Amino acid sequence: MRRCKPFLGTYVEISIQQENKNETISLAFSAIEKVQNLMSFHDQYSELSIINREAHLRAIAIDPWTSKIIRIAQDIHQHSGGLFNCGIGHRLVKAKLLPGNLDISHHDFGGIEDLQFVGQDCIISSRPLCLDLGGIAKGFAVDMAVNALKLNGIHSGCVNAGGDMRIFGNKPQTIHIRNPKVPSNVIEIGSLMNGAIATSGLYFFNRNQQQSYIINPLTSKDSDIHHVFSESFSIIANECVYADALTKVLILSKQENHSCFKRYQAQAIRIGV
Amino acid sequence: MNWKPTPFAIAGLAMMGTPLMVQAKIYVSAEQAQKVLFPNKSFSKAPILITEDLQERMRSASSIRHPFQGDRIWRSADGSWFIVDEVVGKHEMISYAVGINPQGNITGIEILEYVESYGYEVGDAQWRKQFNGKNANDPIKLNQDIQNIGGATLSCKHITDGVKRVVLLYELALKTPALAARPK
Repeated sequence: MRRCKPFLGTYVEISIQQENKNETISLAFSAIEKVQNLMSFHDQYSELSIINREAHLRAIAIDPWTSKIIRIAQDIHQHSGGLFNCGIGHRLVKAKLLPGNLDISHHDFGGIEDLQFVGQDCIISSRPLCLDLGGIAKGFAVDMAVNALKLNGIHSGCVNAGGDMRIFGNKPQTIHIRNPKVPSNVIEIGSLMNGAIATSGLYFFNRNQQQSYIINPLTSKDSDIHHVFSESFSIIANECVYADALTKVLILSKQENHSCFKRYQAQAIRIGV
Repeated sequence: MNWKPTPFAIAGLAMMGTPLMVQAKIYVSAEQAQKVLFPNKSFSKAPILITEDLQERMRSASSIRHPFQGDRIWRSADGSWFIVDEVVGKHEMISYAVGINPQGNITGIEILEYVESYGYEVGDAQWRKQFNGKNANDPIKLNQDIQNIGGATLSCKHITDGVKRVVLLYELALKTPALAARPK
């Protein structure tokens, strides 16, 4: 059976082999909803918004899931040489790609590296932060949903959050991605079993004539901040959180053999136009 | 992880690929969605006539232009509501269900069908009709072998707008039923 709900700004689809498992699928959707409630930039009461407002003023106790995603984000930040950094929220606010709940004019914002753990699930920041987890939370949510399904006896299935997807169980599934040149066409790129894939392309974004949502955290030149590209970049990894985050490293480095892919056992695919 | 790429994925070539003329994903029927959003509750149909004034207010609150159909509203004895609506984009049509509890809070949103189309006018009501009321077991075999599609994130903004108008409908016409015009 297959169900779909709107979450995380996109459509989240859960499909499993078994029928009549509505309650189990609802549990998996609850995991996605929990990630949205904790990590939404749009919601001023989310843990992320509290961190952005107050982490430089006091230590903040956070949910173990938020701890987990911050630790993963810090690890990828370190091993990508800073190419992956969640400390770019203010850039997206400035470009009106995120809502301006936070006063961004008077701060010199730090990055994910400025967060320190003062306990297992307690953090403090040495600088004001404007973190956006948009580049990693969808993948994390997919993993949490897959965990919920597995824990409740589902052996095989797929969770797809707007193109960030994870397939589990012993049935290989054919993967298609959109052709970056003609997004109404799909290309069969291979078959995947027990793994995750995330893809980034700007082909839907450009039709709204907004600025690119891919931010280069290492540049200080205004013209280079919004990274524009026409190809599509995919990462295949064991877990979707890594697939999601590492697409940004691939887009910005354009290196399919970037050293950090090996560390996370990830494979890069770049489809040119 | 077990990944077997096709040769041109290895080469990184954008072949033309398969044209995705119509992709229809049918998730759950309205009846199934009702059970998902309100387990163990029974609903009966409670259609209302949508006056021009109400239609106009829903339009301006949500920026959705095509009219809301008042015959897809259900009510349970305890005052919960179950409403089915659809939103139509340039290339896609999505029908969805919203559950509202007796206190007026949204209990959940469930997507019923997602139809993506290129080369057809999705806005054409006749064309859309062929998908209405089908369920997951119906044999619409349009690109059904293409299930797992990666790619840039498709925004669910249309649904967000749609839910806005459903909430307004509740506020203006359902909350105080005496004010709503009901067909016999």
